Amino acid sequence: MNTSPFHSETGLPLLSRRDFLWQSGGGLGGVALASMFSAEGKATAAERTGSPFPKAKRVVQFFMAGAASHIDLFDFKPELVRMDGKPSDFGEPVEAFQNGLGPWLKPVWDFKPYGASGKMLSEPVSALGGVVDDISFIHNMVSKSGVHSAATLLQATGFLIPGFPGAGCWMSYGLGSLNQNLPTFVVLPDHRGFGSNGIKNWDSAFLPAQHSGTIIYPGTDSPIADLFPHKSGDYVRGGGEAAAHRTLAQLNRMHAAVRDGDDRLDSRIRSYELAAKMQMTAPEALDLKAEPEHALKLYGLERGPQTWSKEINDEEESFYFAQKCLTARRLLERGVRFVQVWSGNDNGFPRRNWDSHEDIRRDHGPLSTGMARGCAAFIKDLKQRGLLEDTIVLWTTEFGRMPSSQGGKGRDHNPFVFTNWLCGGGIRGGVTHGESDQWGYKPLDRKNPTQVYDVHATMLHLLGLDHTKLTYRHNGIDRRLTDVHGSVLDQLLA
Amino acid sequence: MRSPAVLILSVLAGLLPPPEAGAAPVDFESEIRPLFEKKCISCHGPEKQKSGYRLDVREVALTGGESHAPNVVAGEPDRSPLLRFVTSTESDERMPPKGERLTAAEVERLRSWISEGAKWPDTASVKLEAPSKWWSLQPLARPAVPRVGLANPVDAFVLERLQREGLKPSAPADAQTLCRRVYFDLIGLPPTPEELDAFVADRAPDALERLVDKLLESPRYGERWARHWLDVVHYGDTHGYDKDKMRMNAYPYRDYVIRAFNTDKPYSRFIKEQIAGDLLFPGTSDGIEALGFLSAGPWDYIGHSEVPETKTDGKIARHLDRDDMVSNTMGSFCATTIHCAQCHNHKFDPITQEDYYSLQAVFAAIDRTEKKYFEDPEQTKQYGVLEGALGKVKGSEAELVKQTEKQAGEGLVEIDKQLKEARKISDPGGTPEQGFHSAISPVQDAVKWVQIDLGKSIALIELLVAGCHDNFNSIGAGFGFPVRYRIEASNDPMFQQDVSLVADRTNADQPNPGTSAQRFKLGTTSVRYLRFTATKLAPRKDDYILALAEIEARSADGKNAALGAAVTSLDSTEAGVRWARKNLTDGIYPGHLKSAANVAELEKRRTELLREKASPEAMERLKTVRAERTALEKKMQGFPKPKVAFVGAIHNGSGNFKGTGAEGGKPRPIFLLARGQVTQPGREVGPGALAALDFKPARFELPAEAPEAARRAALAEWVADPNNPLTWRTMANRVWQYHFGQGLSETPGDFGRNGSKPSHPELLDWLASEFRDNGGSVKKLHRRIMLSDTYRQSSTSYAGAAAVDGSNRLLWRQNRRKLEAEALRDAILQASGRLDLTMGGAGWQDFVVEQPAHSPHYRYDLSDPLDKGTFRRSVYRFIVRSQTQPWMTSLDCADPSMRVDRRNESLSPLQALALLNNGFLLAQARELAKRAEGEAPDMNRRVERAFRLALSRSASPAELEALTAYASDNGLANTCRLILNLNEFTFVD
Repeated sequence: MNTSPFHSETGLPLLSRRDFLWQSGGGLGGVALASMFSAEGKATAAERTGSPFPKAKRVVQFFMAGAASHIDLFDFKPELVRMDGKPSDFGEPVEAFQNGLGPWLKPVWDFKPYGASGKMLSEPVSALGGVVDDISFIHNMVSKSGVHSAATLLQATGFLIPGFPGAGCWMSYGLGSLNQNLPTFVVLPDHRGFGSNGIKNWDSAFLPAQHSGTIIYPGTDSPIADLFPHKSGDYVRGGGEAAAHRTLAQLNRMHAAVRDGDDRLDSRIRSYELAAKMQMTAPEALDLKAEPEHALKLYGLERGPQTWSKEINDEEESFYFAQKCLTARRLLERGVRFVQVWSGNDNGFPRRNWDSHEDIRRDHGPLSTGMARGCAAFIKDLKQRGLLEDTIVLWTTEFGRMPSSQGGKGRDHNPFVFTNWLCGGGIRGGVTHGESDQWGYKPLDRKNPTQVYDVHATMLHLLGLDHTKLTYRHNGIDRRLTDVHGSVLDQLLA
Repeated sequence: MRSPAVLILSVLAGLLPPPEAGAAPVDFESEIRPLFEKKCISCHGPEKQKSGYRLDVREVALTGGESHAPNVVAGEPDRSPLLRFVTSTESDERMPPKGERLTAAEVERLRSWISEGAKWPDTASVKLEAPSKWWSLQPLARPAVPRVGLANPVDAFVLERLQREGLKPSAPADAQTLCRRVYFDLIGLPPTPEELDAFVADRAPDALERLVDKLLESPRYGERWARHWLDVVHYGDTHGYDKDKMRMNAYPYRDYVIRAFNTDKPYSRFIKEQIAGDLLFPGTSDGIEALGFLSAGPWDYIGHSEVPETKTDGKIARHLDRDDMVSNTMGSFCATTIHCAQCHNHKFDPITQEDYYSLQAVFAAIDRTEKKYFEDPEQTKQYGVLEGALGKVKGSEAELVKQTEKQAGEGLVEIDKQLKEARKISDPGGTPEQGFHSAISPVQDAVKWVQIDLGKSIALIELLVAGCHDNFNSIGAGFGFPVRYRIEASNDPMFQQDVSLVADRTNADQPNPGTSAQRFKLGTTSVRYLRFTATKLAPRKDDYILALAEIEARSADGKNAALGAAVTSLDSTEAGVRWARKNLTDGIYPGHLKSAANVAELEKRRTELLREKASPEAMERLKTVRAERTALEKKMQGFPKPKVAFVGAIHNGSGNFKGTGAEGGKPRPIFLLARGQVTQPGREVGPGALAALDFKPARFELPAEAPEAARRAALAEWVADPNNPLTWRTMANRVWQYHFGQGLSETPGDFGRNGSKPSHPELLDWLASEFRDNGGSVKKLHRRIMLSDTYRQSSTSYAGAAAVDGSNRLLWRQNRRKLEAEALRDAILQASGRLDLTMGGAGWQDFVVEQPAHSPHYRYDLSDPLDKGTFRRSVYRFIVRSQTQPWMTSLDCADPSMRVDRRNESLSPLQALALLNNGFLLAQARELAKRAEGEAPDMNRRVERAFRLALSRSASPAELEALTAYASDNGLANTCRLILNLNEFTFVD
């Protein structure tokens, strides 16, 4: 027996369980029930913008991995058409990533005006013509890096190095969840794999893990990791699961009964209940077959998956992208706060992403056709369901591509200017904020470019959050999604 | 009275006359301070100090201002940038940048105030505490132990504090609880049922002490504690970022850390080896492997290998690379948030931007690279000397080449241009189309074939087979050309009948022909199909392949009948334009006749031109230097196969990623970067550390001829100095944290003002002194902590204390802890009896790598949960950064992309699903069931046994009843799955 005088001091009765409920944390880490898919966000009144009725509740972000060409899709440059094939001259020395400073190269497709706004769109993205008046374009985005990895991290997390939470994590952290049975932040990666940095673009880094993006692969056998037993557990029978949960809870309650004052034990019991609910909810949410025929038609999904050609092609890209778009809509509808949809795999060969150093037409053609069809259907769908007014849609990429050619048919990286577009959720449609110069090489007004911080600040603003106040202390700094930068783009606000 | 417009104009022009005689002097308190508060303080005050500038603290206001400093020149308004900012109309200069400007009258008062000497009374300034008064920067002295009648100093400090707060400690935990706690704490594994029984039965007063000592001697101890350290230094086995390449040789560092803990390496030596082991402990393997600390973190490989240092993006990549090394060093060893001083002086702690860049200068010569070394330190030394000499010789060679080429002038430029074109055709390195590349084989004797269909039967006279040129692993010419092979011809595509042997090279190893084309004569029969079969593949790095650039089939008329012919093969790596079956018959290969002749001719002209134009002395020296290089390379080839570790060291590279090897390891110049921008370099800074600490000079004065490692050695000595106030406190706090779940300071990586002050500052100082003065022995520190009654307390909460101190900062109980991902996984394997305790070596992989050549995809879903190779302890797992192990990640495993001083702890439905349904857990639950079946005769006793194997203790009757009832309907494996999901399995009391 321990006879130390240290312990002889003991003698107070144990705290009753009920008395303890007001206590949060009960010790390490403060993991409370409230933090699981919680309806309560972290943001206190002081951190909100003051607007009691934020314009937006949800976000979907489309991310084109590999750097989509603004020049060939959204940012029409007649001057390039005129100068096509002439030696490029930027009027200053240019550091290009792979020295792709060949002759000027006109957009590889024709542009035509669409909508009341008369916005010029190129042929493969013409599907967006039908919704173009809802969209607001930013043509003077600039990046801080021309290297895929760092630039992708910058757009996704606001920092050039890994170790910072994705934008969706911040929103989950700030606003909490709108539902009980699905994750707050969902990532739909390209079906072929991850882009640069992999999960570092959406994981929670120093924020609590429940704010991490949850990966979902629509249309696959196992769309969410571990949602159902792995095949090595063939002894698990569906019929026995209720008993398993019951017995587990019973034993865990016995364990907790003699361990007062630690609400993590309760939280963990509850997490199993929620897991069981999620097993019910998620498959339903992901079941695209439940959609009526007209909805499937809208997305071009009525034929289901086909056997595709080995070469990259419009139909295959359209199918996979639309599948993600429709899944995104179903998730948003069910209270997922932030959905990130990726187009484009890593920078490997053959090209299955937007990094068209060799041939814009070959890669950008199918990728942008699929993207535009999917996005257009998605926007129309949200609109007719009344969801667009409180859902922000953001289309982005890590940087743009050069107006000069590389190897004749391709384009090198252009971190100096690129395009983003937004719609819904309090964004004013049919406007353009910021222009690029006559080549699409740099912003027209070089002193006042738009940066990712501004886009993030605007997004948070529409969600009712002040980007300078949504902070988390880590390693000595009160970290923000917008670092120490960013201003709300007032011109874009409806 | 002047109109405001006129006033502003005259201010802009700097023409405003001095205040008229007789005008009242400006009163700071009533006129200027309110102005600052109204217009400036929100960005330059207590909350924010943009550009490190604030207008509420006199010293900072009058002397600060970064590149403009001082912003206020007393008596000289026209030379005071502050006045310029408030009047400027330039958008990047004007202050305040948004909102209402200062009125003309306000500007005038500000101007007068400066003219009058910028008088600022003492009472009107916020006082900043002297930086050196901060607790963590105080010299470390051993505090007196409080006299509270306790022999154990740890308990005395804790009890004294509890008494002050009117709290009492908790009862000691029972033996069963204590035993499980001690096992997990020290070795990261639960006690076996037998070990638990033995401890419970041991009534001797020193039972705990003997258990602690026994576990400290277990090799499992080093594995457990190394994992904590690897969290802190963000160790990983891939680079991260784009393409996330594997680091096959990072593990020697992981093994070094395990060894260091197991041998209780003195902490100062542990520090020194990791920063500068190569110089301070020459000739030791530890001195090299420990340098894996510097390279442990993520690395932008593409930013180095595809972008040279001359480009902005290349500069950023290298700047961020050093930033990671600096942050790793200062964060891990000194709990300092040094990264905050990258763009401006630290806003909260006395760390200047100069300190930050001085620390970058310490690492200015090194990169993340593979270092070769040998078991025999003498060989390592000799090899190192040769490597160094080779670096220098290569440097002079490059210099001489540059010089002679310059002398040869424009003519040479023209020849080189033509050569480049000619080589493009003859060298697939220059054109994208390399050739045919088989799938990769793990073994050399796999048989692989590739065959050509000429479309119709043709009489051939000769075959030509050309090798590839690829610089993968420095292989170059002859890449993938097999060691043994045969060539056959037939009219049967299946090569079942009518096969004629063209060449048989299967009986003996063939010398690699490089890129010189191999020719084979054919008989006169007509054939349609040609098949090349490799019977012994070409070695790559750790695997084997067959690769060929071209096969030509010449018919009697001299034409190549194979040009454009269809190619089939057993397998193929189709990698874009570079590697494809069709490249085998595309007419492009190294040494292609016509262009090869062209190349030879041009090379001849080049040599002649140089002989003619370049100075004979330089050419002679070049010849000598090249001979030296060849001699050195030959000597190095004479060494046995070296060991390789991925470390921070001088890199001897080429192309975009040269490193400093060619410069003899000369450190790159490091500049103070305005706002952290590589495009805005200020003055150059030398190596150093934190100037606010004065126990040792913080700027390292080193002789000019000192090797780069001397900088790192100086930093190592600075960090490991007994008088460094941060170092010993930092480690003592870390060790405490892993025993209690929270440190005495709750921010183990930040002892600055934004961190948490220690709950028991004297206890922390006492432990730190004890640690320092006892030879830096971590094992002694464990004993100090674990043999205290504070540690032995029960973790159960009680009412009075919980109401006062709910988070238990005052240590009135132990903390119940949730097992880390690794401990949980290892405990599962131990319970199932499948844990493999093999130590060290390359990490085990529980993923399949797809597309390894370019951007590896790490497919965890394709791995077999019953792969025995994955049954080793979790510390030996191969750690991928871009695709972290999903199951471990769901259990809050440390993110290898950032330093983790303390793990997050979460509970979520996704975590519950991971524990219910993941393949690993389900497979091991079945293994546990099998084990229990083997060890007990009937279901009830099997359930009981499985419970004991998992939780060490015996199940209570009520528990057993619930479990056996479930087992009778659902079987033992399901019951084991349930046991492994219990709260008790995940938490340690």
